[in-house]
Amino acid sequence: FRFKDSLAEDLRSADLVISHAGAGSCLETLEEGKPLVVVTNETLMNNHQLELAKQLHRDGHVLCCNCSTLVETLQSMDLSTLKPFPPGQPEKFALFLDKVVGFQ
Amino acid sequence: TGGHTTEILRLLSCLSEMYSPRHYVFADSDKMSEAKIRSFEQKRAETFSNSQFTLNRIPRSREVRQSWISSVVTTLYSILYSLPLTYKLKPDLILCNGPGTCVPVCISALLLGLLGIKRAIIVYVESICRVETLSLSGKILYYFSDYFIVQWPALKEKYHKSIYLGRIV
Repeated sequence: FRFKDSLAEDLRSADLVISHAGAGSCLETLEEGKPLVVVTNETLMNNHQLELAKQLHRDGHVLCCNCSTLVETLQSMDLSTLKPFPPGQPEKFALFLDKVVGFQ
Repeated sequence: TGGHTTEILRLLSCLSEMYSPRHYVFADSDKMSEAKIRSFEQKRAETFSNSQFTLNRIPRSREVRQSWISSVVTTLYSILYSLPLTYKLKPDLILCNGPGTCVPVCISALLLGLLGIKRAIIVYVESICRVETLSLSGKILYYFSDYFIVQWPALKEKYHKSIYLGRIV
């Protein structure tokens, strides 16, 4: 398929996700608790897209590779090394904003 | 646009109903945000009976990788367009997270504040994608926002006036 409104269903039934480094794709996948292999293509991407993929990789949440090393990565990967990704906390933002605006 | 809308809706997810009415501003070329916003507000209306929101479109300030000079022109045009909108809405609080759309809106709000018409609190939350560098909107609004929030510690170190609350989306 080309575009779907939501990949949630597909994500839930997947055992492994291979994705580009788009933030939405990465974060949604990690939030579903699925192992993720991020394929980066430095020639096509906005530079900043790499930042998140690199950080997630540094923190041990995803495996990274590029188009030419994808097959090798899939063959030799050990998904048990991946660390779970704790969810973001919008409640902290709400608390902060309440103080700022004076709604305590 | 896309990712920004998803992020901002997450930021809104834990806000109380005191933050009402909510006026969403997005680019006229943005086809997907409206659906996401409506879906969010519909769910919200299930819990909060008096939920109010409006949708407002402004011309897109800048296309990705648009040249500097033409960006200044299109942004000026967007500012002119958003001035009457901001004047009409007279927001108490502006929450933005980085799309080009937020710059003209914030600049309009600043102008209205300078003219003594309405002073809005501007809260900017940089996208979670920004780990080491700020977006162009972020670089501009770092100086013009009242509260500038980043989601990764490396940015807090680089930008001393910023606020780090951890990952909030």
